[in-house]
Amino acid sequence: MIKKDLSVDFLGVHFENPFLLSSSPVDNCYEMCAKAFDEGWGGVVFKTIGPKHFVVDEVSPRFDELTKEGTPFVGFKNMEQIAEHSLEENLHDLKQLKENYPNKIVIASIMGTNEQDWEELAQLVTEAKADMIEMNLSCPQMTSHEMGSDVGTNPELVKKYCAAVKRGSDLPMMAKMTPNITDMIPAAKASLAGGAEGIATINTVKSISNIDLDKRVALPIVNGKSSISGFSGKAVKPIALRFIQQLRVAAGLEQLPISGIGGIETWQDAAEFILLGATTLQVTTSVMQYGYRIVEDMKNGLMHYMEDQGVDHLSELIGSANKNIVPAEDLDRDYKVYPKIDWDKCIGCGRCYVSCFDGAHQAITWDPKTRRPSVDTSKCVGCHLCNLVCPVGAITTGEKVMKPGRKGNAEDKQVESVRLTHF
Amino acid sequence: MTKNYETEAPGYTMTTVMEEAARCLLCHDAPCSQMCPAHTDPGKFIRSVRFRNLKGAAETVRENNAMGAICARVCPTEKYCELACSRTGIDKPIDIGGIQRFVTDFEQQSEMDILKKGEANGKSIAIVGSGPAGLQTATTMLERGYAVDIYEKSEKAGGYLTYGIPEYRLPADIVDYEIKRIINLGAKIHYNVTIGKDMMMDELKANNDAVIVAVGASEAKVLPMFEGNQYVESAVDFLARVKEANGNIKDLPTSAIVIGGGDVAMDVATTLKRLNVEHVTDVTYEQFDEFRASKKELEGTQRVGVTIVDGYVPDSIEGNAVTFKARNMDSKLTIKAEKVILAIGQQVNADNLGINIEHGVVPYAGYKTDDPKVFVTGDIAQGDQTVVWAVRKGKEVADLIDSELMGVQNND
Repeated sequence: MIKKDLSVDFLGVHFENPFLLSSSPVDNCYEMCAKAFDEGWGGVVFKTIGPKHFVVDEVSPRFDELTKEGTPFVGFKNMEQIAEHSLEENLHDLKQLKENYPNKIVIASIMGTNEQDWEELAQLVTEAKADMIEMNLSCPQMTSHEMGSDVGTNPELVKKYCAAVKRGSDLPMMAKMTPNITDMIPAAKASLAGGAEGIATINTVKSISNIDLDKRVALPIVNGKSSISGFSGKAVKPIALRFIQQLRVAAGLEQLPISGIGGIETWQDAAEFILLGATTLQVTTSVMQYGYRIVEDMKNGLMHYMEDQGVDHLSELIGSANKNIVPAEDLDRDYKVYPKIDWDKCIGCGRCYVSCFDGAHQAITWDPKTRRPSVDTSKCVGCHLCNLVCPVGAITTGEKVMKPGRKGNAEDKQVESVRLTHF
Repeated sequence: MTKNYETEAPGYTMTTVMEEAARCLLCHDAPCSQMCPAHTDPGKFIRSVRFRNLKGAAETVRENNAMGAICARVCPTEKYCELACSRTGIDKPIDIGGIQRFVTDFEQQSEMDILKKGEANGKSIAIVGSGPAGLQTATTMLERGYAVDIYEKSEKAGGYLTYGIPEYRLPADIVDYEIKRIINLGAKIHYNVTIGKDMMMDELKANNDAVIVAVGASEAKVLPMFEGNQYVESAVDFLARVKEANGNIKDLPTSAIVIGGGDVAMDVATTLKRLNVEHVTDVTYEQFDEFRASKKELEGTQRVGVTIVDGYVPDSIEGNAVTFKARNMDSKLTIKAEKVILAIGQQVNADNLGINIEHGVVPYAGYKTDDPKVFVTGDIAQGDQTVVWAVRKGKEVADLIDSELMGVQNND
């Protein structure tokens, strides 16, 4: 089995690998974190610890899933708040984890309602020997508006609370950002101004996932009612990647240390977060669906990817895709590439014809007798919707042409497959 | 004309293998993983496929099984991993063999080099026979640092994999690639050497720390009534002839009787049909409810249009007319065909190897013989006689020898 060094350094702390459980139901007590460590996770962000005066009182049931066709958990809705164990129990567990797993990284996630809470919690988790602090400024389902994502959208409060945490602790600290905001940069900069050394993002996206059509109540139904709450899982990955990319290219944030979160389930997802600038990676939803064991394939697959890419350390990959993500106005709009249909592979389903007519530019002609599609280049704009809907991969990129009146050689344009191909 | 014989059924594509892997329930304490005689872990490699880690999946298969691509194709999975599959509680088991085939095909296409030779420990092993058990033993010993010489009586390695299983079920390219991996790992194969004839056991014993006899049951059994009959050929000879000629054999009949009810009989009958022999009737001792051939094999045979008569035993033969007697009825049946192929089992030729064989196996459990330097494995060791069992026996005999030899060394 392949062996590569997956270790990373993040906010001055050395992680044996970048895979962490995010602060959530998956690392709610000592036993859970211990099992996760035993199965290979590099660290945990222990479920958010709140102040003694905030009583967590949960609903039942508290989750829902978004499905598409036969696929469960396309996205996941969660109404659970912060740790329901007592402050003493949580601090005890942190301490015990660090004692029994000295090489694993224990990060304390904390959340207060005011400066005093934040400062005290920071002090307590530092005494419990946590390696790092994550400030939860972003949970969207708190029962107090003084906590969670309502705070995280307010840069002034963010800065003030970060400074409070810094007064209570000299541990490295990251602030966890909410995606329920148009632009994350002001809140991220406010965190740094308050003393944070890094950013964790994204927390969950405010959502309503499904409505029971007979009862006319959103899911999950809590004694006849429901609430907006956080959405996570594969469906939010593109949103997370976008925020991370924007943070890393913002003026002054180019080297921002980021702990990436949002729909990570495979080594490919992990690699994508790394390529856009994440150093550590946090996971919950896929663990809730499949268990801690998923880390095996994330680690092994990432090692193979490093081998394929010829790198010995993940730091060589961090943020390296950002230079290829440019403003839309800077993209090359001088050429188009036509689809190429391989009739030996084509099984005559006609899905490309349907999608092109109804969703694109009526550029695929259909022979009803032979059940064969052809591309009409006089109408084709090269969008490649057909390529994406083809169930057998019979449609690929074909001839490249310059748009009328544009300069340049179409053959020089780099046109790759429109699908993910790396395994 | 031989396209039917040469062409393996298409395997999964990246899209369809994901669909099949998505059917997997990713069970806790996966039952499939407890059922493989060779200790393959489908629960783990299917999970790797599901999470798009194909290279990891290939590692899981290959590190456990030097015959991974072969087992994927020929293992009667319905008796092992797929029998245990929890998905059966919903509809039908996961096609574990098919997913394993995709994974090992990917391994080959990506030219992965998963097996690693162990650091040389200065000890050497001779293996007699290069069938699946001999090859697996060689692999495990090489991984542990032994020097390995394999002595094969034929001109090609692989035993029944090369000379028996038809091309449409197990392409020669796949077998050759598995063997190439083991050669690359350091195995030296000496072809056309029959131990006991061209070279004696004493020489092997003198030159090696251990000798492993893995000769298998390579010779056909014949009932006295069929001996010397010009219309009769053994399944072993027929399958080898067809495979070597890649289906291009000249003297094909228009009708044939196949006698036997195991996988070999199914292979013969199906091969005949795939070579366009019009009338093929297979007569079996067993009735359908006690059938020995795997379900997959039986279905394949029926699909190509072989007539199967179950519960009959051969009674007499006159020229090319065979008369069968029903086992459980007072009934006789005479069938005349241009060719009669016997698939009634194989026997061991262990001449001059100094090994006692009774009913095709050594008369004791385990892999040791009376000679402390000589071990047995494969079909002549007790246990099932399938490829997956050959892999198991190969690993077990290697473990045994390794612990004995390294134990000796530790006492020095």
